[in-house]
Amino acid sequence: MAVSTELYEAILTGDARKAHAATQAAIDAGIGPMELISASMVPAMNEVGRLYEAEDYFVPELLLSGRAMKSAMELLRPLIAAAGLRLGNRIIIGTVKGDLHDIGKNIVASMLEGSGFEVIDLGADVAPEKFVAAVEEREPHVVCMSSLLTVTMPAMRTTIQALESAGLRHKVKVLIGGAPVTQQYADEIGADGYGDNASLAVSAVKNLCAVA
Amino acid sequence: MRLKAIICQVLTREFELAIARSPHSIELEALPMGLHDYGAAMRPRLQQQIDASDALGFDAILLGYALCGRGADGLTAGLTPLVLPRAHDCIGILMGGRRIHERYFESHPGVYYRSPGWIEFQKSGQSLEPAWAVARNSMGERRSREELIRQYGEENGAFLYEQFTAYRRAYSGLTYISTGVPSDAACREQARAEADANHWIFEDVPGSTWMIESLVNGEWSPEDFLVVPPGSSIRATLDEHVVAAT
Repeated sequence: MAVSTELYEAILTGDARKAHAATQAAIDAGIGPMELISASMVPAMNEVGRLYEAEDYFVPELLLSGRAMKSAMELLRPLIAAAGLRLGNRIIIGTVKGDLHDIGKNIVASMLEGSGFEVIDLGADVAPEKFVAAVEEREPHVVCMSSLLTVTMPAMRTTIQALESAGLRHKVKVLIGGAPVTQQYADEIGADGYGDNASLAVSAVKNLCAVA
Repeated sequence: MRLKAIICQVLTREFELAIARSPHSIELEALPMGLHDYGAAMRPRLQQQIDASDALGFDAILLGYALCGRGADGLTAGLTPLVLPRAHDCIGILMGGRRIHERYFESHPGVYYRSPGWIEFQKSGQSLEPAWAVARNSMGERRSREELIRQYGEENGAFLYEQFTAYRRAYSGLTYISTGVPSDAACREQARAEADANHWIFEDVPGSTWMIESLVNGEWSPEDFLVVPPGSSIRATLDEHVVAAT
């Protein structure tokens, strides 16, 4: 049972204001941030993912639930930092060079955060060098790359090669996704995983972290 | 040869001009533009049209398409060979080749492309979209701010609209590709007006119809065209050749 059913419901219904208020109430009641994340937020995001897979929820619902979750995290992050705690595994995510589309990437980022990961979002049009620099500096467990255009997909291969050249490839798992991306392409370019949609991307990240 | 050309509406004028000068007998069928918006669902629609022309004794079926966000990936030749230009999308064809397109694309991120067909055939009231957008309508990207607010409330509706249109704010230019068809000048001015109205940098680049001419003239060099033999299918390779037949 969710430790804060109000927060669980607020995330599920995409109500950012209610999520913020419910989180504050939980904090005031003495519930710890990690407990709130694991007992209320993670189940809520899991249910959102399930509803999306079942085609009851669509992209707008994912965006709204992500936003509700973010409003809760705004209150929890300072508490987590102050207590010297750490969120789950660290993920770097970005849309590749030349590509400005980011809705899918944003949804994956917010669902990962809601699932308890620490997410560093590099934005869109991210050059291979920028991915490499971020991996070197932040030492993530997984790098997620997104592309919406077949013409920018080769940048995924180039980025993996850049990680190899920098001697960093073996230190991270690489996951790719985006409308024209396929498992076959992931296999061809040596990615570790592929997510067919946001919900499956989150599952793939969890699996990659489990074997990391 | 007796050829069938199944083309995207956006290339209509260019194909009509080229077909008029071709030594071959060519039957033209133009499908409504925007099929690429269906993502993978474009393939069965296009396959249906190919199949309908398959047993009619054509020497080849010419496809006035490109990879189109993988819409052409998996198309299968029945009894009749298929011929597909090697390009990621129509912009590659209109610019005169995929290499020209890639060079321009890399140096001009955040640009909308227009051509005579993109001006003439885009449905009125349809908002300007990047030429290569592969976004299913169920993602909600085409809905207006008012529609979203009606469904999700003021705050959530406004948030969703901002999310769906954010990428457009990263777009800063509109490039018109001239192809020399009779309506070119008029379409160029219309494109310029739309760029001005949106405060985008307007650029006019000379396109080329050589790929379309070569296609309808039966000059299918392996470097620039994929010939799919009967029973084989188009497969996206996403390397320098873009597609292969398997």
